Amino acid sequence: MTDHISQANLNALADGELSADQLSLVNDHLAACPACTTAALVQTLLKTNIAKAGQRYTMPAGMEERLKRLATSDTAGRPRPSGRSAIAGWATAAAIFLVIFSGLILMQQGRRRTELAALAYQAQVSEVSDLHIATLAAGLGPQVLSSDRHTVKPWFQGKLPFSFNLPDNLPGDTKLDGANLTYLHNQPVAQLLYTIGRHRVSVFLTERRTGEPMAERQSDHSGFKVASVGVGDLDIVAVSDVDPVRLAELVSMIKNVQTGTRS
Amino acid sequence: MTLLPWKRVAQKPGPQTSVFEDLAVPLLPALYNVAFWLTRNATDAEDLVQESFLKALRGFAGFEPGTNFKAWIFRILRNTFLTSRSGLEATRTVALEDELDEQSVAGPGLYPEGAIDRQTPEINLIRLADRAMLQAALEKLPPPLLEVILLCDVEEMKYKEIAVVLDIPIGTVMSRIARARTALRKTLQAQDAQPRERGA
Repeated sequence: MTDHISQANLNALADGELSADQLSLVNDHLAACPACTTAALVQTLLKTNIAKAGQRYTMPAGMEERLKRLATSDTAGRPRPSGRSAIAGWATAAAIFLVIFSGLILMQQGRRRTELAALAYQAQVSEVSDLHIATLAAGLGPQVLSSDRHTVKPWFQGKLPFSFNLPDNLPGDTKLDGANLTYLHNQPVAQLLYTIGRHRVSVFLTERRTGEPMAERQSDHSGFKVASVGVGDLDIVAVSDVDPVRLAELVSMIKNVQTGTRS
Repeated sequence: MTLLPWKRVAQKPGPQTSVFEDLAVPLLPALYNVAFWLTRNATDAEDLVQESFLKALRGFAGFEPGTNFKAWIFRILRNTFLTSRSGLEATRTVALEDELDEQSVAGPGLYPEGAIDRQTPEINLIRLADRAMLQAALEKLPPPLLEVILLCDVEEMKYKEIAVVLDIPIGTVMSRIARARTALRKTLQAQDAQPRERGA
């Protein structure tokens, strides 16, 4: 080797990446070339010092334990995380009780249909609100973590007995964070997770097998706004603490994208 | 709203989780260190490590036993960073040429001819550079060069492993390492020149 050692080979030498043949050639050259020896020394010294300086940040105390606990609960809870399912169970039981109770009243007092429908709606509002709160409280990431609708939608294939579309071109501060598979009234539903500004939004998509499409309406529950609408055989219910106008806008976008395109 | 209390059944981690934890937990300090360097923020670093850890756990079934777990989980961390807000900002603002420039291919043109000199200004500079100087130089590296130098020098990964983590050819790994070290040396020289200029 008569030419000087290339920069790439000097790096490879410092990094221990030269093959035996290359190392032999380089060593021969170094024995005869003070300039390359100095250069190799610089690279090695730099590497050693960077290795020390790069070890800069120490994990906060308790983070390891927290991640271990998360790992345990994440595995044990899938596909239905235990915290969520427990809350969902209580909420479902409450909803079932309300529905049965409503049914009895309906038989006895047919005139009160409207009032009972409101109760059922309130039960649903209560249940979706509980699911939304449970999602926020659990602090876990979505089961499918993606802002890409082409990732989120296919993730539900085989998990839900229905399909849906997700809107593109969301407003600037609105972002799809991912989605969860969850349960309402013992039926699997899609829980889409959005962020509007700093506000988290859950949008529940459920398949309606009987009855009229859900009327477009908004209500309050436990400090959260709930917006709902039906389209085709799909019910859309969104929960958030965001401005109700923004929530309605998102629900409207999701509704519009279903029209005529549902598979 | 009052949530009714419920009894949580004690859950034991499955064997898969146990294997995953055995492999992943020892790497958490290294993942956090790299995450902090990339995000430059403790909160974002914690979030990045947590997200990557859970992604790795959920995808652990797809990990091929016998292959390099460290490279696998660092790749998840890196991909998660790229899709994060700070990662997207980083990739938007940095354009890289991955070809080695003429100078880096030609040889040690930077170095003077002559006898082996163990007291050149540059050697002395690197030798005497304190941690803060080196860390400041690292902070000035663009993310693609910073990540490659962290994986190579701090995590002591082989070029082949780095290529897996960054999903780039080995030649690109080599060129980025060369560019990173050249940039580090230039920054150190500039830092060294500043006090002297001020003093003059």
